[in-house]
Amino acid sequence: MILKPFKVTQIKYIVPVTLPILSTIAMNLQTADYLIIIVYFLFVIGVGFLIKRKIKSSNDFLSSSRNIPLWITSLAFISANLGAQEVIGMVASGAKYGIMTVHFYWVGAIFAMVFLGVFMMPFYYGSKARSVPEYLSLRFDEKTRGLNAISFAVMTVFSSGISLYALAKMLEIILKWDFDVSIWIAAGIVMIYTFLGGLTSAVYNEVLQFFLIVLGLSPLVAVALHDAGGWDNIKTQLPPNMTHAWKYMGNADANPMGLHFMSLIFGLGFVMSFGYWCTDFLVVQRAMIARNMGDAQRTPIIAAIPKMLMPIIVVFPGVIAIALMQPALQSKGYTIPIEPDGQINYTMTLPSLIAHYYPTGLLGVGITALMASFMSGMAGNVTAFNAVFTYDIYQAYFVKKKSDKHYLVFGKFVTIAGILISIVTAYIAKGFNNINDFLQLVFGFVNGPLFATFLLGMFWKRTTGHGAFWGLVCGTLAAAATHGLTVAEGKGGWIVPLFEIKSGMGQAFIVAATSWVVNFFTTIFVSLATKPKPDADLRGLVYSLTEKPKYTTDKWYMRIVPLALILLVITIILNIIFF
Amino acid sequence: MYKKLNNLGFVIGAFFTIVSLILFANIFLQGRTDALSIYAASAFFIFGLLMMLKN
Repeated sequence: MILKPFKVTQIKYIVPVTLPILSTIAMNLQTADYLIIIVYFLFVIGVGFLIKRKIKSSNDFLSSSRNIPLWITSLAFISANLGAQEVIGMVASGAKYGIMTVHFYWVGAIFAMVFLGVFMMPFYYGSKARSVPEYLSLRFDEKTRGLNAISFAVMTVFSSGISLYALAKMLEIILKWDFDVSIWIAAGIVMIYTFLGGLTSAVYNEVLQFFLIVLGLSPLVAVALHDAGGWDNIKTQLPPNMTHAWKYMGNADANPMGLHFMSLIFGLGFVMSFGYWCTDFLVVQRAMIARNMGDAQRTPIIAAIPKMLMPIIVVFPGVIAIALMQPALQSKGYTIPIEPDGQINYTMTLPSLIAHYYPTGLLGVGITALMASFMSGMAGNVTAFNAVFTYDIYQAYFVKKKSDKHYLVFGKFVTIAGILISIVTAYIAKGFNNINDFLQLVFGFVNGPLFATFLLGMFWKRTTGHGAFWGLVCGTLAAAATHGLTVAEGKGGWIVPLFEIKSGMGQAFIVAATSWVVNFFTTIFVSLATKPKPDADLRGLVYSLTEKPKYTTDKWYMRIVPLALILLVITIILNIIFF
Repeated sequence: MYKKLNNLGFVIGAFFTIVSLILFANIFLQGRTDALSIYAASAFFIFGLLMMLKN
């Protein structure tokens, strides 16, 4: 789930008023640190060169010819989502909202990933579509595909640029590296390995980046937790609503997120979560390149296992950080940087923990892990962008019947163009502070209603292309209107500020939920008034007209449904433990 | 060797082994005794070797 770096609002009763002002973090890299960074750069570029020899066709370059082993597709599936906004944003959220941040995983990810694997992958994979927009073309029509492809292409390339901007800004703040140099080096390295090896290269590097992020940040969690006196001591230092995930959600005023559990479950747990994990081509693409249908279904389900444990790496450090700032633990000497206006800069929580705890050498590992998360996010966006732009825009609407070599060359050209547009976006983001907020807002408007289209398209054969198209248009307009009529933390209300919502996150959930409902009913009404496709054209695309896959030869623990049920039970147990 | 380099598990193992060797070299050259560096370097080394040997 994409999460923008948080701007800060102060949490009551937690932050001591006597903290020193510390708006910067001092990190001095030594030879060992630089060596580790250089080794990492050499490895990611080396992977590009190794994969290059295997790239013979446009399918190899843009969709890996569906030939990637399960363990790689699974880790790439989760790693494509493990960009810097995720890592740094979730640590910041952990510090700001406490353990409730686990809802982004145990409510806002696992169920949707399991649903994708069990119910939706048979259509994505079985239809032989090369992309999510291409599935929409097969199921509905070209105008629905075009709308989705164009909005997705714009979103991914801008997301890539924002990721690049955030990386350069972070390196400028914590290492005093030149902004321009950071932009061009990071973009250059991503360009080299994606240009050489296409999607396979990006996916392989995502797996390397996954291990680097997990292993690079694990020692930090261990040492910070030990320093804070363990989880039991943290619970005594923080208010109870910072260490309970559900207990205080019956009343929106009683928890740091300002959310009622119903809006969390419907807004995050259903609309936003399913809208992202089940329809965003960036992640679905990793499952679509598996070797067979069984592996394609298992990919998101296996990926849900590390996803379930990810809060240990990206949520707990934030909670630990805020605990270390309490009076009883101030002797440990750690603070999250404080802005001159007295507010905590939560975005700097993870870099400040790394600076505080990691000695020379490990500091290089920590910084490399941060860089890996930025680059992983960028490469994922660029490879999804080049596939959608080549297959669903260029080949679908402009140059239809050319040789495979033509599309391979064009795909490579789009990769370079995507990186260059990302660089331009990064500089625009540098010049206009509000562009990040604006883009996130627009992305939310487009993504919010999307799942309703897929849900109806896959499970109700009466859904028509006109219904899907107008549902998406009306859902997006409804999202914009809801934002324009509500105000939260000073944002929104640009039409008429009719309703006030306590938190920005609550507003985002309400916007998404409204757009979903409007899309859902618009699609139904328009579909009932228009002519559906004949059943023969919908085989393999709709649940009721598709033969269900059977995996009786698999061992029981590799069968889709038992595996999914085990994961769901473990997720529920985790929610109970941290209730 | 080229065949091995085409195996992602082996490449990941090689990366962590090299990183652990840099960390060990840093520990010995700087005379560091902090447990965090030693434990982390050892864990990376074991993980890297296992990944290389198993692939």
